[in-house]
Amino acid sequence: MSRLFYDHLLDLDELETRVKVITKDREEQNEIFRLIDEIVHHRVVGCILNHLPEEHHEKFLVHLSERPHDKQILDFLRDKILEDIEGFIKQEIRTVAIELLKIVADENSPEVHKLKARTLRKARNG
Amino acid sequence: MPQSARDKLKLKHLDEINQFNQNFASAKKSLDQKGISLSKLREHSNKIIAAGALASALALAPPQGDHLLPPPKEIIEKVTRSSSSLPVETNAVVLRKVLSQVLPEEPRALTEHEEKTLEQVILETTGVKAKANLEGEHLNTTYGLIGAEQHLRRYPGDTLAQHKPDADEYGGERVDEIIEEGITPGLGAWGYFAPSKEAFTPDLEETERWYAVVQTLYLPDWEKRQPYLKDWYKYRKVLIVNTENGKAVIASVADSGPAAFTGKQFGGSPEVMDYLGGQSYKKGAVLVFFVDDPNNEVSLGPVDYNKI
Repeated sequence: MSRLFYDHLLDLDELETRVKVITKDREEQNEIFRLIDEIVHHRVVGCILNHLPEEHHEKFLVHLSERPHDKQILDFLRDKILEDIEGFIKQEIRTVAIELLKIVADENSPEVHKLKARTLRKARNG
Repeated sequence: MPQSARDKLKLKHLDEINQFNQNFASAKKSLDQKGISLSKLREHSNKIIAAGALASALALAPPQGDHLLPPPKEIIEKVTRSSSSLPVETNAVVLRKVLSQVLPEEPRALTEHEEKTLEQVILETTGVKAKANLEGEHLNTTYGLIGAEQHLRRYPGDTLAQHKPDADEYGGERVDEIIEEGITPGLGAWGYFAPSKEAFTPDLEETERWYAVVQTLYLPDWEKRQPYLKDWYKYRKVLIVNTENGKAVIASVADSGPAAFTGKQFGGSPEVMDYLGGQSYKKGAVLVFFVDDPNNEVSLGPVDYNKI
């Protein structure tokens, strides 16, 4: 079962649509999906470590290694970070999505504009 | 994909890993000691969940999050008894009510016990023999989010216009809504449904009309067990139930996806999504179980509760 504790915060449909358009076959598409997925893992975990006080890093990594699918990791993070960690993760995901869209799509493509607009809208709404 | 974009993406991938390793050297060391690679986080999660399911099946440990469910018949009777507004409730309503009691609030991996209970409930209410595990195969998840997909190209030269339903077909009275999602730029995971328009049969037309997308690309043994798995999943019948309203449809697996970073686990053709939730339904929680139909007797399309 492909489940990670932050999967419900992911909604990069524009990126998937763009990859489907530019890949020549299913093998290439799956390879690109995997690369993007791995980039997102590193950015999300990096974002968490940036916000989490260092003394709690090890505990978080233990949770991550033992129950990477468990949403209770977010409860642990909320408790230790005392800020909107889900908001930080969502913001990080949107930032990396824009970076990736700029690679797989033209800077002025509708997908990039759509994602930027969504990011700004979410930022304004807190 | 243009070579330059592909190369840039690969470079970015390496760059992100290097940056993480530099910025969080002690975290990287700790993960290494635990035998975890962030690049393989999803595969690692798969193994842990699979091990948990096995432990639960062998009754070695109580499954986390699995509340002890009463027998399926008892749940259905309780739901039926508690209804005072109507003397007889439709099976769709009964199923929806049962699901609201059995399922966790948010989609997550279900335990074997939960899946077995649901199989019985589905059989009682829809008449469909649905299985979470069929012939030893199990989807990555049976409870997740479904998203709207586009029409698939069925044969060389197929166009969106040719997907318009006839007046007597599903959606025939609102053709524009059915073709609104468009047609995929490439082919589905199993290529064209037929090598030519002439070879395209009514059965294959139904297969595309009622198609489902499941994440075969993330199955832990997908690469190792080829070509068996690819053949096994091709046009495999699944039952999809909208857990919000109890509407159910029989679909055939005709594409692989969606990408994990969309946050969705399943996809549905424009007709599947239209039936499950109406024209504006683009994403929602569903159950997806295999249909045990060795003699190919179950028709694709909406589940007709009145026939039960």
